[in-house]
Amino acid sequence: MTLFANRKKIAALAGGLLLASAPLVAQDAEKVLVLRGATVHPVSGPPIPNGMVVVRGNKIAAVGAGLDIPAGAEQIDLAGKHLYPGFVHAGTQLGLVEIESVRGTEDTTDIGNFNPDHRAEVAFHADSLLLPATRAGGVVAAHVMMQGNLFVGTSAVMRLQGWNYEDMTIASPVGQHLYFPAPPPPGEGEGKEEAKKKRDEALKSVNDALADAHAYKTAKAANMHGLDVNPKLEAMIPLLEGKQPLYIHADNKAQIEAALDWAKEKEFKKLVLVAGQDAQLLTDRLKAENISVILTGALALPERKADPYDGAFTAAAKLNEAGIRFCMADRGTPMLSRNLPFNAGMAAAFGLPKEAALRSVTLSAAEILGVADHLGSLEAGKEASFFVSDGDPLEITTHIERVWINGEEVDLENDHQRRLWHRYESRLKPAAPASAKR
Amino acid sequence: MRSPVVKKSLVALAALLAAAPLAAQTGDPAGWRNSQPEQPAALLIQNATVWTSGPQGKLENTDVLVQKGKIAAIGKSLAAPAGAVLVDGNGMHLTAGIIDAHSHSAVVGNVNEGSHISTAEVRIADVIDSEASEIYQQLGGGVTTINLLHGSANSIGGQNAVIKMRWGALPQDLLFDKAPQGIKFALGENPKQSNWNVEQRRYPQTRQGVEQSIEERFLAAVDYRRQWKEYNDAGPGKSSRVPPRRDYQLDAIVEILEGKRLVHAHSYRADEILMLLRVAEKHGFKIASLQHILEGYKVADEIAAHGAGASTFSDWWAYKYEVIDAIPWNGAIMWQRDVVVSFNSDDDELARRLNLEAAKAVRYGKVPEEEALKFVTLNPAKQLGIDKWVGSIEVGKDADLALWSGHPMSTYSRCEKTWVDGRKYFDRDADQESRKKVAAERAELIAKIKAQAAKPAAEQKAGEPAKTPTYNQSHGDTFCHSSDHPHSEGQP
Repeated sequence: MTLFANRKKIAALAGGLLLASAPLVAQDAEKVLVLRGATVHPVSGPPIPNGMVVVRGNKIAAVGAGLDIPAGAEQIDLAGKHLYPGFVHAGTQLGLVEIESVRGTEDTTDIGNFNPDHRAEVAFHADSLLLPATRAGGVVAAHVMMQGNLFVGTSAVMRLQGWNYEDMTIASPVGQHLYFPAPPPPGEGEGKEEAKKKRDEALKSVNDALADAHAYKTAKAANMHGLDVNPKLEAMIPLLEGKQPLYIHADNKAQIEAALDWAKEKEFKKLVLVAGQDAQLLTDRLKAENISVILTGALALPERKADPYDGAFTAAAKLNEAGIRFCMADRGTPMLSRNLPFNAGMAAAFGLPKEAALRSVTLSAAEILGVADHLGSLEAGKEASFFVSDGDPLEITTHIERVWINGEEVDLENDHQRRLWHRYESRLKPAAPASAKR
Repeated sequence: MRSPVVKKSLVALAALLAAAPLAAQTGDPAGWRNSQPEQPAALLIQNATVWTSGPQGKLENTDVLVQKGKIAAIGKSLAAPAGAVLVDGNGMHLTAGIIDAHSHSAVVGNVNEGSHISTAEVRIADVIDSEASEIYQQLGGGVTTINLLHGSANSIGGQNAVIKMRWGALPQDLLFDKAPQGIKFALGENPKQSNWNVEQRRYPQTRQGVEQSIEERFLAAVDYRRQWKEYNDAGPGKSSRVPPRRDYQLDAIVEILEGKRLVHAHSYRADEILMLLRVAEKHGFKIASLQHILEGYKVADEIAAHGAGASTFSDWWAYKYEVIDAIPWNGAIMWQRDVVVSFNSDDDELARRLNLEAAKAVRYGKVPEEEALKFVTLNPAKQLGIDKWVGSIEVGKDADLALWSGHPMSTYSRCEKTWVDGRKYFDRDADQESRKKVAAERAELIAKIKAQAAKPAAEQKAGEPAKTPTYNQSHGDTFCHSSDHPHSEGQP
């Protein structure tokens, strides 16, 4: 990455002067680390018993068994342990909200329904207390998206350790996000007309915005005299040019169908559907139209009262059986983003093969987000972002023991929650219980 | 007791269906229309790994015999009584039915009577929705008993109802009749309306005010009890006084003072936890359970010394300011310090996988597996005062059981069957079969509606069109914005 290339260049120029301040440099680009003895789970290939991962600087240099150990390499013996690529959270507001009920700590949702110029990462809080807790769960990167009505802006894939949002950004913009208008409920129930009107107005807003953006693009291309810069329309141009994927958010079946119809009509080619369990009702269409799906978790109630009790649990298995490219996110509660893998575990209990479950929170997520050259598997050339566990990490009873992000080991103790744990676990028992004084 | 709620929205469909025979079997998600599943004279679950949550610990290759709804024997290769229903548990794991000590499922309408700071007179038992789909969904997660509580809008909330998940029974028949009466208390941000979007604020707005609002009610109850005692002591006909005016609210609070009504108190911060323990000690009663209690780990010794149970979330935090210090090791630390700890749901969805919540006590703090499972079986039973009858697999206890496809704390396991009182209310195989019937029934109904719609207008009966059923997904009271709307999905 350019950051490290520059650092290397500076180091070469500055020589000894920079070496003296080496602790301030995130890491030495030539430093070699060898992790050996663990069962290595590359995800891109079968597990390697007694495997080895060689890290050079912030990148994985080699993965295999019986590799030569470079001279001077630091070695870590992980016999009996398991080594996995870090989990990639495919859709969350992590870093954009600290405390849900305290408005001043929330930057997830803005006013208005046309904010395509918003960039999610610029409010990513590098020192959020939620990040250490999430890293400790083996999640090393997250696709951070805003929420709201209609066009909410572009998303970014963020590394979960760093100094600020710039050095934590792995990819941006990942795509433009559209929360598609909800269709009116079925039947002839109360409020139907109002809901229909609301939907029609929203749809008109979307179409108008798109028409405006096309007109703006045309005017700009023609160097129209007197054209004022419009940052919102400007932000739509990469989308219209097909350079940026459209992430379209829709929940129930009717909404997904309407969204897909609309996207087809508007000729969006790069499309990712962000949807819940109802995606499993549309597998034929998703397959035929080659649409990737980010599932918003497996831990949800049935979409409709009369639906099977396990609808959210089975959705991933149904998509997988149909050969649809999908990955697993969660329901969007950043406080629980460390539990991402358990969504995949639940899907595995209800029919998703275990390997596919692991892939759904690692490599598949990276592929759909367009960051598979950085993340998602243990392969040479990717970021050294992985974790060591004492067992299968989709099992809750497993412990995640060590985590590396981009070549740097995470200090798991640098965590608000762990500090409180240690402080109160070591509290001495009061000699006598306090009496009921008043 | 209110009459069972009639789902008006379904009346039109039900009328169309009237001629069709009703299925009466386990696994029907619309089981509220059915008769109760049979209670076999004998049920023998064979060769399972049995997590007793009792003194016998975990037993491999073990049989459990159930007779007339009670556990009759536990052992290897038990003889099957004539006519016994046999269940092959080979490769599977049997646990006591899961108990959720904090639920708002199966309640008609709003769970908060937040108008006054004390509403001790109102009763959840009056508003049980026996037709709520959550009952069936939670049976599908091995849940057999839940504690229905009011919300946390006021410091003294209302009277709880402990119910068994007897899917299909009428509201009054869901009640766990032997369960001690209880009441919901609440401290902190919710009773002081911190996150409410309301124009009219009411007292109190501080934790100091919350303390005094509770204290004042107990002082009033002490006076009320004295008035009645003086009146009654004078003997029938001998008193010159008029009897004290009956006060349903103070009746309930007097029952707390007399140890006849268990307090289940929503509480988060260490300061407010200590405050409530001291108020209770001053008035001579014990808090039965501290609910949520995410800073319980800070005052675990004080909680243990008082003797309160702690019913907490496994790993929730950061959803409001008073839970910024919540840590997932909370359960483990309190358990280490001899507090009776349970994990609850407060959420219709989470309630379906409390077995996996128990696994988090293993993940955070390495609580031994059998002890962790007790967080969702025996320990909540203790906190609710029902451990004599449920919460573990012991001879003589109710046959409330869950059979799992694998280790009960594995994410890869499914609940296969759930029994309450020896009646099988959930069976995954039957559920799968039932889906086909439901699909066929739906197709039939749609065809009938379409056929009717195709008739000329004159032939159509005038009638109320079917309304779209509303479906409130969750009522969790952890994050109480206001008393007049349910929480949106994803907001605990």
